[in-house]
Amino acid sequence: MQFIRYVVAAVMIFLCVPLPLMAAEGGEYIAIRKEGSGKIVIALNKLDAPVKEESRLAQSLDTIIHDGLDFTGLFTMISPPLNVKNTSGLNFGALDSVGAAVYAGGVVTNTSGTISLDMEVYDIAGAKLLLKKTYNGKPPQLRTIGYAFCADLVELLTGKKSIFGSKIVFVSNKTGFKEIYECDFDGHELRQLTNSHSISLTPALSPDGKYLAYTDFSSGRPALYIRDLSAGIISTINKSGISIDPGWRNSREVATTLSFEGDQEIYLIKVDGAISRRLTFSKGIDLSPSFSPDGSKMAYVSDQNGLPQIFIEDLQSGQVNRLTFSGRYNTQPSWSPAGDKIAYTTWESGGEINIFAIGIDGSGLKQLTANSGENESPSWSPDGRMIVFTSNRQGSKKMYIMQSTGENQRSLLPSDGEQMQPSWSLFCQ
Amino acid sequence: MKNKINGIVILALMVTAGCSSRSAVTAPETSGSQAPSPKISSPVTPPAPVTPPETPTGTLPTEPAPPSPASLSGYGFDQWQNGPLGDVFYDFDSTVLSAEAQDQLKQNAAWLENNSAHKALIEGHCDSRGTSEYNMALGDRRASTAKEYLVRLGVASSRLETFSFGEERPFDTGKGENAWAKNRRAHFVMKK
Repeated sequence: MQFIRYVVAAVMIFLCVPLPLMAAEGGEYIAIRKEGSGKIVIALNKLDAPVKEESRLAQSLDTIIHDGLDFTGLFTMISPPLNVKNTSGLNFGALDSVGAAVYAGGVVTNTSGTISLDMEVYDIAGAKLLLKKTYNGKPPQLRTIGYAFCADLVELLTGKKSIFGSKIVFVSNKTGFKEIYECDFDGHELRQLTNSHSISLTPALSPDGKYLAYTDFSSGRPALYIRDLSAGIISTINKSGISIDPGWRNSREVATTLSFEGDQEIYLIKVDGAISRRLTFSKGIDLSPSFSPDGSKMAYVSDQNGLPQIFIEDLQSGQVNRLTFSGRYNTQPSWSPAGDKIAYTTWESGGEINIFAIGIDGSGLKQLTANSGENESPSWSPDGRMIVFTSNRQGSKKMYIMQSTGENQRSLLPSDGEQMQPSWSLFCQ
Repeated sequence: MKNKINGIVILALMVTAGCSSRSAVTAPETSGSQAPSPKISSPVTPPAPVTPPETPTGTLPTEPAPPSPASLSGYGFDQWQNGPLGDVFYDFDSTVLSAEAQDQLKQNAAWLENNSAHKALIEGHCDSRGTSEYNMALGDRRASTAKEYLVRLGVASSRLETFSFGEERPFDTGKGENAWAKNRRAHFVMKK
């Protein structure tokens, strides 16, 4: 019940903030929000295919673009009215009367194996062309072509970068071993990244996407590995004890927990595996570093008071503040890309694990999951609008996606085995 | 042989007596401010000891029961443990060494004293509740708590290696306190 109130409150806030629309030329912002809707109402027309053989390509791209835009949660998609076009072009009056704020349509052609998608986007209220662009690619790259348009559209309408082209890395045991996998933000293009036949855990991509850091038991003990994804070079840390649960501070420095000095402390490591400095000094477990976007502060788990709680450390001054006071077992902090919030999980006394978000000053605590078993490992999308997490709400532990308000929780990737510890990339390729 | 063992026990008593009056039921090294007192009023109440120990428990024994050389039975031994070194078990979300755990560690220390060519690997394990990253760290703490106790008893630190499996390698994959209690352990693996 409380959860519903949170969601309602979040929707209300959303309604009060007009979504700015940046015009392609001129750079002025236009409020495109229609009364009574928090989403952008888009009339998405079916793509034209002048040549009959290309109608199947057009249909595939229709689906890709529709599903891609729908995935973002930003749009209400409607079919254009039958009289969408008249003799002078687009019928803005008809589009306006069905409530559309934006119109998008285009043409698909296939010239000797190169597919071209010519797209046009119009602002209805202003009867104005916002975007006209051609996207080219080969037939196997249909999704890339469609998403390139989606990315441009979202960036144009919101003024912020989109999730298109971003990746999620995660752990799955579907081969019988916990290995690391990668998929697109929407679950497509699944790829296995490790094949250690051991235990691989807690993957995290560097902000620039060049490196993958993870914990792996191949050597017999849990050790940090940093893999240069293009060169295939792997660095590791040769220290006794454990090195677990890495979090990137920037594209050349990752933090991880090491125990070679006896206590479980967080250290900064360079991508070549060298320790650059120790970050925590409290007695007990210090774990799960997650950095502010500018790298100046670190959220982490510490049990210095007996129970695991989230703390924030200012790396320059060394000052440490406790962030969480509600809940007795708070772990898995994830700092939002906008820098203002931290998502984390609370293990509740009834046995559920739930995801919360809290302001970095401790204000605005909001519960995002409820009555759905164990919900773990939150990780923000690069645009900060969504969160990927795992849940056992339907039995086996799988990845789910929700808006950062907690709305629209749905399964991401139905596949064999359990899925764990998802981490959403900051980059979009 | 017997003198040596008694010597170790006396040393252990001196160490524990040097701490607090509670020290018979806490680890010698990690007691004090950071010793996790019952942390969460957990979803499940803390377990009874896995196997009823033969030796006196709870209070500092005035006359120490001479630890029998490690046998492959009793506390610290089960179907997953077949070396000469017995495992030790922990309460929920705890790294505190119980009286039973301390007794087993004394036996392990005695065996290591008499078999100085051997080294031991101590793996920390946790039950599956809570979050897995924290359990990885908690298991590491359990292993190092056991190691520190052995070092206090005179075993060279260089002969003891520790790491954690967290919740990744449960000894009993079932649910419920019976299974969980078996998984909250420091598991000893003998190395030549």
